[in-house]
Amino acid sequence: MGMEQAWVLPAIPVVLFVLIALFNGLMPRRGDFLAILGMATVVGLVFLLLLDFTGSFRAGEFVPGGSNVFAFDWINIGQGFFVIEFSTYVDAITMVMLPVVTIVALMVMIYSTEYMRGEPRYGWYFAVLSLFVAAMLTLVLSGNLIQLYLAWEGVGLASYLLIGFYWERQSAAEAAKKAFVTTRIGDVGLLIGIILLWRATGTFDIQQIIAAATSGQIDSTYLTVSMLFLFGGAVGKSAQFPLHVWLPDAMEGPTPVSALIHAATMVVAGVYLVARFSPVYAEVLVARDVILYVGLFTAFMAGTQGLVSNDIKRVLAYSTVSQLGFMFVALGVGAVGAAMFHLFTHAFFKALLFLGSGSVIHATHRQEVEGLGGLRHKMPITTATFIVGSLALAGIPIFAGFFSKDEILHALISDGPAWAYLVLAATAVLTAIYSTRLVLLTFFGKPKDQHAYDHAHESGPAMTGPLVLLAILATVSGFFVFDQVGEALGLAGGIGALVYLDQPHHFTTLDWTFAAGAAGSALAGVIVGWAYWGGDAKRAVGARSWAPDLHAFLVNRWYMDHLFQAIIDRVILGLASVVAWFDKRIVNETGVDGGAQTIGYFGYRLKFLQTGKIPNYALGMAVGVVALTLIAVGG
Amino acid sequence: MTDVLGNTLNLQYELLLPEIILAITAVVVLTLDAFKKELRVGYNSLPFVSVLGLVGAAVATLLLLDNRGNFALLIELDDFTTFFRLLFIGTAAVLIIGSYEYIERHVSHVGEFFALILLSTVGAIYMAAARDLLTAYLAVEVLSFSLYVAVSLAKNDPRSGEAALKYVLLGGVASAMLLYGLSLLYGVAGSTQYAEISEALAAGTGDVTLPLLLGLVLIVGGLGFKAAAVPFHNYAPDAYEGAPLPVTMYLSATSKAATFALILRWFAGPLLPAVDDWAWMLAAIAVATMVIGNLVALQQHNIKRLLAYSSISQVGYMLMAVTALAPDTGVATSGAVLVHMVGYLVTNLVVFVGVIHFYNKTGKEEISDFRGLAQTNPYLALTLTAGLFSLAGMPLLAGFFTKFILFQAVASADYLWLVIVGVVASTVSLYYYLQVIKQMYLYEPLVPGRWRLSATGYLTTGVLFFFMVAIGIWGAPLYEVADAAAGAIFFV
Repeated sequence: MGMEQAWVLPAIPVVLFVLIALFNGLMPRRGDFLAILGMATVVGLVFLLLLDFTGSFRAGEFVPGGSNVFAFDWINIGQGFFVIEFSTYVDAITMVMLPVVTIVALMVMIYSTEYMRGEPRYGWYFAVLSLFVAAMLTLVLSGNLIQLYLAWEGVGLASYLLIGFYWERQSAAEAAKKAFVTTRIGDVGLLIGIILLWRATGTFDIQQIIAAATSGQIDSTYLTVSMLFLFGGAVGKSAQFPLHVWLPDAMEGPTPVSALIHAATMVVAGVYLVARFSPVYAEVLVARDVILYVGLFTAFMAGTQGLVSNDIKRVLAYSTVSQLGFMFVALGVGAVGAAMFHLFTHAFFKALLFLGSGSVIHATHRQEVEGLGGLRHKMPITTATFIVGSLALAGIPIFAGFFSKDEILHALISDGPAWAYLVLAATAVLTAIYSTRLVLLTFFGKPKDQHAYDHAHESGPAMTGPLVLLAILATVSGFFVFDQVGEALGLAGGIGALVYLDQPHHFTTLDWTFAAGAAGSALAGVIVGWAYWGGDAKRAVGARSWAPDLHAFLVNRWYMDHLFQAIIDRVILGLASVVAWFDKRIVNETGVDGGAQTIGYFGYRLKFLQTGKIPNYALGMAVGVVALTLIAVGG
Repeated sequence: MTDVLGNTLNLQYELLLPEIILAITAVVVLTLDAFKKELRVGYNSLPFVSVLGLVGAAVATLLLLDNRGNFALLIELDDFTTFFRLLFIGTAAVLIIGSYEYIERHVSHVGEFFALILLSTVGAIYMAAARDLLTAYLAVEVLSFSLYVAVSLAKNDPRSGEAALKYVLLGGVASAMLLYGLSLLYGVAGSTQYAEISEALAAGTGDVTLPLLLGLVLIVGGLGFKAAAVPFHNYAPDAYEGAPLPVTMYLSATSKAATFALILRWFAGPLLPAVDDWAWMLAAIAVATMVIGNLVALQQHNIKRLLAYSSISQVGYMLMAVTALAPDTGVATSGAVLVHMVGYLVTNLVVFVGVIHFYNKTGKEEISDFRGLAQTNPYLALTLTAGLFSLAGMPLLAGFFTKFILFQAVASADYLWLVIVGVVASTVSLYYYLQVIKQMYLYEPLVPGRWRLSATGYLTTGVLFFFMVAIGIWGAPLYEVADAAAGAIFFV
């Protein structure tokens, strides 16, 4: 499996999607084993690809845009005027994404065999999971923007189908619609950005666009605008302010879907996109600052919201939005390596947390923390793995999240404004607090709903297996950055060097003083969380009554949804009624209907030329010939 | 062997193998039908043998794939010929497989019917393959005479005889015009060989401009009739309506495509040097055809007449591209015509096979009879909808891609105003296609109850549907093949 054959990776799930979607009724177990086998094959192939990539990279044979590209013309119109290729492109950023997508997808599929057992449309569920993986792999392997855009919409479609999987439920259908419409707003920005870049360079090829942009062939204002539009797509897909509102609602989908799509993979597509264009963003610092501040604001805002939410999945959703904000902060200061590294570790521990919450929901049929508590006695494996995931999220040393978050904070203090660092560090403390809170309220203390507690039980091996595997990854994936670890695994140069393409040997040692500070603040967060929510959470209740307005502000998500609703009601609907009047009276009745009636009238008159009489027809022909002759001779 | 003028003639009969196979199959089918009692064969043996012959002809074509050359200076064997051989053989096969149930029930003289389809396919192929005016004219007549008869073969339908009579009388007028035009052209150029005509016209026409112009007018008129271009189109809706459905399909598919094969051969080959004398004629006819075809289609209530007018407007789009055969972008433009022709043919066949199966079940052909089809046969409703959307040029389907290529080629040959007319006309067309779709999806069926297509119905529509989508999302291979075929017909 070489880099030129990378197109095989998305091809396998595409075929499986078609097969399972059409024929799952004929297959044993509705074809779930096919999806899992296919996914396992893809995981295997990804590792072969990784070996090929690191091999040639270390040997100095890696040429960006060279031998690693597989391409053929998909559409070629006007002798090269408008060419759309199908092409795959592999580099370090791709190589970080591939294992993340495929491993998490495999875990989620195995987990789903138990979680989704007995659900209606079980086969369709696995078909759409395959479609999602296919689209996501196409996205990260894409060498050109049109293909990327198609895959981008493909993952959006799969996400829509899965959020609305229980479409009989009103809230699920609403959430699916909200997610689709909100991300579409960003997608339009992306499309505009793509068209702007195409206009400036005449190509959709990503590497050629980057080359043209970095060599100063595009006017810098034009480039800034284009790159901001491109970032608009990322904002929508990665749920950043102000398009973050869809992600918490997306939790209406089945929990394994939340783990795969709305935590680990699809939502990082925006991060991937910005990282992919990082050389260009380095040219347009205004756009990069926008990324930094959007990420920073989102990280802090979502962190505070996670502090008060009572739905276990929503807390995780806010934390996802917040952690994506961390990644954008890193991209905003140009630390691509740090962003991709956090993406890598976050995928594992956040998938773990979601699957753990799914295990809880599966056992108790409750997802409000008010109805949980004390579950550590009943679900030891889920509890242990969930704690590992939370420690990783909180950024406690040796767990994966510590290394990557430390890296982002370090990059920010080196290259960003000091106050931004303070905000992000505070957000990191917040993260530790709400992680602790979630663990305490779910697994410790006294059961708040005795009935649910009595019926709770540990999940079966198909669910705990992936939990344990992901817990291991959430623990060790942080060490991968160290070159020595990578070398010990037999990857020449180490994965760390791979992630940090710009500074390959940056990571032989940590900045220990700085790291100690970060670890200390994370620990402090855990202690605060423990102090407030430990036992019967007296302090937390006290805090709530001490500042009820603040609590209401946070619970209502900073009134962001209210604000949007008001804007939509007043401004947009008001404007829409004006446009609707214009459309109805002027465009439709005068323009379209008038035009249609005119056209219809001509059609009606012309119909009578069709008399059915042979002499009339022959006359028509003769008139035609004579007319042509007269013009020919006269003209 | 040499002829009386001393030309060396190439008489390799194997070059004509596909057509020989088709002609022999036609004779076999006639014999089988005549002696079916003695031979104890049923009706199904006729379509079976016909398809067998078509498969044989296709195999022969593929075996001859790398043979180039001419037969006795009359028939040219090149990529263009091969392209149309496969296209016409495929169309005939779809017709027979997709509609043999219909033919058994609604066509009189079934043996003759299959034989006529096979023979007219030979005529159609030779229209594309001729390299001499007289051969081409004979090929036109082989196709036309087969069709005159075929139109009259609808069982128990008085419209059929009337349609055939109109078609043959007006067809005679058109043939006379065409032949007179060819005579004038011969008089100007001094030869019936395409290559020599091209040389003669390229050398300058000087004193003989008037006969050349008259000849061109008559040729355009004659071909305009065969292609059903306005104002030579009047027979078409009547003939389409009266003919048995498979013949209607054949008229709108093979007959039209063969006429365009001939038009491309002539206007890209021998007549190209006189491009300034004819481009405006075709432009005028193209505009009239696009506008009138689409406008009158708005008023139709019968699905056959609707499709007749829709195919007239498609002729307008293709004529528009022939107008733009200026030498420097000519190959790309004629390649675009071929691409659009294939896309149109596939789409048209999808719709017609669907309508034929609808008729098999219901015996009805008014647009309002399609109401509620989405409930009684969702597969057929979906297939017809996709086909009609493709005819209207909706993205992801063949019709969009091929029309886009066509319009783009015309635009890049500096005929932007023609493209604007085409795009506007094409927008109007969406309305009448949607009328049919509206009936299928928005209304309750008159007779409830699910029904299914026959196995061959699923097979033919399924395969065509696949191609319609495949061309729509990945048309590059077709485009390359068409470009290679188009490259063969230019002398300069």
